[in-house]
Amino acid sequence: MATLKSRYWPAIVLTTGAIALAGCSSSTTDTTASSSAPASAASAAASGSAAAGGDGEVTVTVTEADGCVASPDTVPAGQVTFLITNVDALSVTEVELVSDQRIVGERENLAPGFDSTFSARLDGGAYEVFCPGAASERQPFTVTGEAAAQSADLTALLDQATVDYATYVDDQISFLIAPVEELAAAIKAGDLAAAQAAYIKARPFYERIEPVAESFPDLDPAIDLRVGDVEAGTTWTGFHPIEQGLYEKQSTEGLAPLADQLIVDIQSLQAEAGKLAEATNAGSEGGYQAFEIANGSATLLDEVLASKITGEEEAYSKIDLLDFEANVEGSLQAFATLKPALDQIDPTLVPQIAAAFDALTATLDKYRDPNSASGWVSYDQLTEADKKTLTDALLVVQEPLSAISAKITN
Amino acid sequence: MAEQGTSRRRFLGGAAAAGVGIAAGVGVAAGYGIRSTAEDSTGTTDPYAASGDAADPANAVVPFYGARQAGVTTAQQERLMFAALDVTTTDVEELKRMLGRWAAIAARLTTGKLVSDSPVREEQPPFDTGESMDLGAHSLTITVGFGPSLFDDRFGLSGRMPVELTPFGTIPGDAVMKPAISDGDLCIQACADDPQVVFHAIRNMVRAARGTAVLKWSQLGFGRASATGAGQTTPRNLMGFKDGTNNIHADDVATIDSQVWVDASGGTSAGGDPAAVSWMANGSYLVARKIRMEIESWDTDPLTDQERIFARNKVTGAPMTGGDEFTPVDYSQQNTAGEPVVDMNAHIRLAAPEQNNGIKMLRRGYNYTDGQDPDTGKLAAGLFFVAFQRDPQAQFKVIQTRLGKSDLLNEYIAHIGGGLWACPPGVSGPGDWFGKSLFT
Repeated sequence: MATLKSRYWPAIVLTTGAIALAGCSSSTTDTTASSSAPASAASAAASGSAAAGGDGEVTVTVTEADGCVASPDTVPAGQVTFLITNVDALSVTEVELVSDQRIVGERENLAPGFDSTFSARLDGGAYEVFCPGAASERQPFTVTGEAAAQSADLTALLDQATVDYATYVDDQISFLIAPVEELAAAIKAGDLAAAQAAYIKARPFYERIEPVAESFPDLDPAIDLRVGDVEAGTTWTGFHPIEQGLYEKQSTEGLAPLADQLIVDIQSLQAEAGKLAEATNAGSEGGYQAFEIANGSATLLDEVLASKITGEEEAYSKIDLLDFEANVEGSLQAFATLKPALDQIDPTLVPQIAAAFDALTATLDKYRDPNSASGWVSYDQLTEADKKTLTDALLVVQEPLSAISAKITN
Repeated sequence: MAEQGTSRRRFLGGAAAAGVGIAAGVGVAAGYGIRSTAEDSTGTTDPYAASGDAADPANAVVPFYGARQAGVTTAQQERLMFAALDVTTTDVEELKRMLGRWAAIAARLTTGKLVSDSPVREEQPPFDTGESMDLGAHSLTITVGFGPSLFDDRFGLSGRMPVELTPFGTIPGDAVMKPAISDGDLCIQACADDPQVVFHAIRNMVRAARGTAVLKWSQLGFGRASATGAGQTTPRNLMGFKDGTNNIHADDVATIDSQVWVDASGGTSAGGDPAAVSWMANGSYLVARKIRMEIESWDTDPLTDQERIFARNKVTGAPMTGGDEFTPVDYSQQNTAGEPVVDMNAHIRLAAPEQNNGIKMLRRGYNYTDGQDPDTGKLAAGLFFVAFQRDPQAQFKVIQTRLGKSDLLNEYIAHIGGGLWACPPGVSGPGDWFGKSLFT
């Protein structure tokens, strides 16, 4: 759906600062979770001893009175394991190791009475142990000596993510062109069935990259506005008046100009996205930024909750689940480009989100219907319980996904 | 709904009779009706308090930490939000950690603080959703319970379920209970004197549970429908009658100890191993029932019939056998025709402790409305009944079985949802959490 906001993807104003990376960095990190249970404690110990250097072990004690205290606060470069104990700090949910404003390792979901651990391979330099919400939030932490072993540079990984994502977006838009042209041809031929088939074919390509389209304030409303959002005095164009004709009126009559305009608008979208990709590939200003990809990934799930699970997006064709799947797929692909970088920052996060995506996809798959034109159960056949099941699965992805942007930004 | 004469459901209106009195805090445990004003241990001004005035009722704080959970014998607050959740993880460590997060969040919210004081990065969603800022704690209590379904084979708890937590099966009058608004692996009862404060508590705890548990159903209660002491006046239910005149009051320690709290044994173990259930010592069982009222029909019932059903004067709350609201009911009194003045199937007779071998429960219900029933156009409203007791099999189930069969009120009500949960003992301090002794 189109909205009047372009809240997460202001492609126009992006500048360099957001992702300025400093050389001082970590490399691989490894995180395990544990609680006071013996089994988990054992796995934490195992992870510590398995570390390549095996040398550094730092205890981080979190208390309400003193905040985070790391001991020792100076270690030699190499693999360092942080053993975190939240004694009684009610508002501290995470510990981060920060280097030059960037998170190089972290552990989330801390709770008083529970132990946790993470490890990171650290180069020499000045760091901070950052515990948001603690009495004393930041404590200096020093790593002496040189890097033990350098792995892939985080900056390079984030740059690669933007390049990969640019390619993905360009591909989706180019795949969109053909079915939209088919749609126009079928409408002009008065072939209702073919036009409906082309409509169904086209929609997912757009829904997968919708946040990018939304960053162009004129294009998305022209392409994807719903009738209730049309401003007085303007013309309703794009997919949805065509959808209304094909499904509610069951006619191709009068739709040809709309279809022609849709082709033009999507060609404009292709041109604009192409400029973004060009800047991205050149590493110059105005290209995709990694944090935008993270936000776009989360925005796609917001889209599902706002308009697909409610059946508002495809009010006439009832193919909302097709859009649902496309939004999720687009979100997953955006997330996938960021995985290598995220894996360095917080290795627990990627499996957690990936597992939640898997569960969501598995839930969604139950609603595939080979006998339906869209391949999915029609929205009007979903029960309230079905919608709750889908919403619950989506929320599990949405919450952790909403936090990844901040991890790669600062 | 089929007409069954008097054989329908009804409220547990008179279920608990006990000493009437001026309840004051009883210092056994936190949450015993004590309402103090907010204190900040650091001595600094709490930026999220409703005002700088410590005596402002908005800043009233009910202690969270204690041997027993707050929100049971706490002087009943004006508003409720209740939530039932199902656990989605199969990893018991994740479940434990979530209960740890809940305890930390509850400890902060009940003192009027946010989930975290940390200023967040601009790129990050705030730690706290924010709508309770500037409101104060408003005597917020957060009470957590474990449903029978938590004790299946997922988390290794199957041998730890007390006999008292056995699902009720079918009780007469439960024909229209809806599964979608019944039961749940976990429950949270949030009570406070401000509706936004209770909503905020549930919202943030459900958020913290994301990925570990999902909200199954929830209910907002807009008005207190019981008095639990502290000199509270008896409120009225949506039928216009005073409800809970004979409820257990917080100062009646003997009754509370014998009827509400589980004793040091923790209850009854099915396998005969007392250690298996010792985790429930100082806990209590919460029974919730969403009781829909047939409001429009009730409104057409003549006053004499309404009063016959409750056997109380609608205006004063006095029993039909004379006196004032708190005069004991004379169940043997007959009229000149030789008939009992209190109908044999009147609400208070069926539920009264005198008629039930002395069984009592601590009721803590709230009037609710869900607005208008979209299917029928009728007002969707009634009583969200909540009761605490030490053995629901011998208390709620026994009384509700009588009521469900015969109560005159059944013509005007229907039990449509609810459940049974074991509320573990209180959280002793930072580092402890809800049900820790069950999981360790």
